[in-house]
Amino acid sequence: MATRILRNMLNRNPSILLKRWKNSDRDVTVYDPFQKLEKNKEAYLEVIKIFEGRDKRRRGHVEFIYAALARMKEFGVQKDLEVYKALVDVLPKGKFIPTNIFQAEFMHYPKQQQCAVDLLEQMEDNGVMPDTEMEQMLLNIFGRRGIPLRKYWRMMYWMPKFKNLSPWYLPEQLPNDTLELAKLAIERITSVDPGTKIVIWQTEEIEASIDKTWIVSAQSEAQKVLLAEQPVDDPLIVKGPYTVYLRDQTVTYFLLIGKTRPEFKDDTDPDDVSNIEKPPGIPGFIGSTKLPATKCTVHEQDDGTIVSVCATGTSSRDSLLSWIRLLEQNGNPSLSSTPVIFTLIAPPNDITLHEPQQTTEDTNSEKQLGTN
Amino acid sequence: MPIFMTKAYRVILRNIRQFSYFNNADTILKLNRPSIQTVSKRWLFWERDRKGGYSTTEKVSILDHLKTGFKELKHEFGLLKQEIKELVETDPLLVARPGEIDLIWCFSDQSVLDKFVTTSDSDHNEGYSQCSLTMSSAGRALFHGHLDLRVPKDGRIKKAGYCAMRSKRARKSFKRESTYNWHLYNTLVLKVRGDGRSYLLNLSCEGYYDITWNDIYHYVLYTRGGPYWQIAKIPFSKFILGSKGRVQDKQNRIRLDRITHFGISCGDKIPGRFDLEIEYIGLEFDPTHEEEFAYEMYKTEKYIVGV
Repeated sequence: MATRILRNMLNRNPSILLKRWKNSDRDVTVYDPFQKLEKNKEAYLEVIKIFEGRDKRRRGHVEFIYAALARMKEFGVQKDLEVYKALVDVLPKGKFIPTNIFQAEFMHYPKQQQCAVDLLEQMEDNGVMPDTEMEQMLLNIFGRRGIPLRKYWRMMYWMPKFKNLSPWYLPEQLPNDTLELAKLAIERITSVDPGTKIVIWQTEEIEASIDKTWIVSAQSEAQKVLLAEQPVDDPLIVKGPYTVYLRDQTVTYFLLIGKTRPEFKDDTDPDDVSNIEKPPGIPGFIGSTKLPATKCTVHEQDDGTIVSVCATGTSSRDSLLSWIRLLEQNGNPSLSSTPVIFTLIAPPNDITLHEPQQTTEDTNSEKQLGTN
Repeated sequence: MPIFMTKAYRVILRNIRQFSYFNNADTILKLNRPSIQTVSKRWLFWERDRKGGYSTTEKVSILDHLKTGFKELKHEFGLLKQEIKELVETDPLLVARPGEIDLIWCFSDQSVLDKFVTTSDSDHNEGYSQCSLTMSSAGRALFHGHLDLRVPKDGRIKKAGYCAMRSKRARKSFKRESTYNWHLYNTLVLKVRGDGRSYLLNLSCEGYYDITWNDIYHYVLYTRGGPYWQIAKIPFSKFILGSKGRVQDKQNRIRLDRITHFGISCGDKIPGRFDLEIEYIGLEFDPTHEEEFAYEMYKTEKYIVGV
């Protein structure tokens, strides 16, 4: 009997054994729908559409969503809400909604629910906030009692609370231009002193400069006064490079640091009444009205007075030298007589003017330039 | 029966081992071996271990324990004497001075830094981040390191990249566990100099029962970056309850008399170097801040929240 059935099968369709042989388990590579030429959002959405249209039952949609989630960074769509919505839309509507309390309690369709939760988690990790349309889609798929809905509600409770919490505002999309980025960074650093003026200079203004690049320099009026008051024989120090993070971008900045002023000593005797001129009946000051020199502007840190902050296009020594020259031309004449020492922690990898002979040579060249 | 065999003696020995300085995590982290690959199990019903499987105890012979324990006796009796003296002499504090900052940790020398422990994912072979807490050139604490998001290819770990510093457990004499009592204050004050990253402040409130062992109250510390110091004042009412890194549905205000650890962690998913210079961590009572708890709790349907 059995042999007859087998013979019958083979007679009718001889390729059935070969087909078994050609099972996908034995394929060397798995078919990958994301192997597109272009890696952009349109291609990504197109693949999702192809998957939706290929099979009415959408078999393997959980695997598809996981595969799609893993490829998001490659396509550069990990911060795009529309793409996440398109992925949620792959799940069938109405099928996974529990119809009785047992189904609701014991996680109806666990793989699918877990998949949706993982999708939402990836959104959270990338800082993408879902919207109410997403909620409607999830409600249509999993119903009110679904775990993904709980995840969604939690996200919608917490994410808006933290979205704009940072006291230093950054635009949603950071600029690609390094100059704009440097401007943002210097603005953020110098936000301690609202009087700070940020200027952008080109090194072309200095004839001796080799590096032709831009300089974002920040200095307030208070810093100009502090710089003018620096003792001429004590050298100023250029320190750096330091980095500041703007989300995932980094900007290198440099500092011009001077000495901290000596502590102000008030030697007037408040009990001395020998030469009081007291106009009768007129309210006002009695005795000395000389205010003590303000001991601390914000720029006087305990490791030195920060006189100016800058970021340059190349972060090279030459550009920093140009920065000092430009500072001198723009309202800091005392720099022409004050020596400046460059203490850069590591020599920048790109263009450098001087051989990394440390401070003395730089100081000399500084002095020479100053006399020009 | 010889004394070595009695149960009481064994209990004493076990306790000595527990309380010795050799439990100091600094020394242990270096010696840690990849023997903790068993943590992937989730204990849903009860918590077996305070450390969640990250065992960091070191095997030291009983003789060594006795020796070190004996050496510490003098110091511990000194502490006990001081405690008793304080108990008899001092009146309880009822009011904090408004506007004055009481420094809990002022990082002016190495002995204060030794009260902290740093951890990163590479300590347990779960990542490649490195960090340390050292004195900076300005004479302050510098929490620095390298955050690395690479995931080790062991098929178990999905995400990596954290570095953390945490104070050691507050203890009374004879290594008895105690808690910080900060209920007079309502604001946490930190003077820091960061690099523009955001850090996470963690206040642990471990309790007696296993359900509270992982209770940590979190809040974000945004740093400006740059050479200027910044003073961050964060009201305790804004801290969020989390457990094992997950924000909890049912929130409540932090119990300020039950704080066991204070910590700062860096894990903002941005790979690279980080530097956070800390001058002090203090507390302040701000009478103008009347908020009890910053997060409204909505009334929801049954079995939606906290299940």
